[in-house]
Amino acid sequence: MQTDRRQFPVWLWYALLCIFWWGVWGFLSKIGSNTANPLQMQVLFTLGMLPVALAMLVQMRGNLDRNIGGITFGLLSGIATGVGTLGYYAALRNQNASIVTPVTGLFPVLTVLLAFLVLRERLNKLQMWGMLLALASIVILSI
Amino acid sequence: MIHWVFYAAFAIVLWGVNGLFMKLGTNRISARAMVIWVTAGFVVLLPFLWTAASLSGLTTGVILAGLIAGTVNGLGNWAIFACLEKGAKASVAIPLTALYPLCTALLATAFLGERPSVLQWLGIALALAGGAMLSYEPSTVRAPEEQLHCTQ
Repeated sequence: MQTDRRQFPVWLWYALLCIFWWGVWGFLSKIGSNTANPLQMQVLFTLGMLPVALAMLVQMRGNLDRNIGGITFGLLSGIATGVGTLGYYAALRNQNASIVTPVTGLFPVLTVLLAFLVLRERLNKLQMWGMLLALASIVILSI
Repeated sequence: MIHWVFYAAFAIVLWGVNGLFMKLGTNRISARAMVIWVTAGFVVLLPFLWTAASLSGLTTGVILAGLIAGTVNGLGNWAIFACLEKGAKASVAIPLTALYPLCTALLATAFLGERPSVLQWLGIALALAGGAMLSYEPSTVRAPEEQLHCTQ
């Protein structure tokens, strides 16, 4: 007999931790952006990320994974986030944040679509509804 | 003049594709290595940013807030990579962690005295419900008695 066992998966703890850290990031950005412009903030964010990367390097004792594919996707991830953020700032120059931010907040739709096409990931019905509610909340909270 | 929608679409495409890069990367290297290479990707853009923005005129407090924000952002990056490394689907983890404005809203309410509007309360409720539904992964495991029979 197959039984469903309700349990709190390890990945979910990390997802909640991520929400917490990025939430604090959003909070500190709110404070800093009262004076600094978005580009200045981006420079400070990049410099602030360096100690974390260095700590990871020390923890790994300099033994970095040498998988070329992994390194390429890692670099592309950083560049895509950074360049995407510049696009976001460019949109903010011509339109209010209350309009641009909810629109750009829809980016997970593209990730879900690509994960469906490229990684063959499938969401169950409840998760599909959850994604729709999450998207609605992202738009509302970004206004 | 380029319309703002073009720039917004540009951001959506790059951030959306990034979700895929994150999963494909963590399928190949560790979460800690991903943090290092993603940071390297950000550093590549630093010279361009530096020519466009000078830090002169900023107070020590603002610089400190920006630097700490970067550090916690890096910790958040590590957490999302660890989440994906532990088997989370990109199609679940990316929309779920995109709910971080919920945490920002709660912190702003607690420490900046901001009061959420009725619409924002609705957003908070939807985020909680949506997040819980997204996280639901039914795991089908065999009952202990059956596992015992199988090993005998």
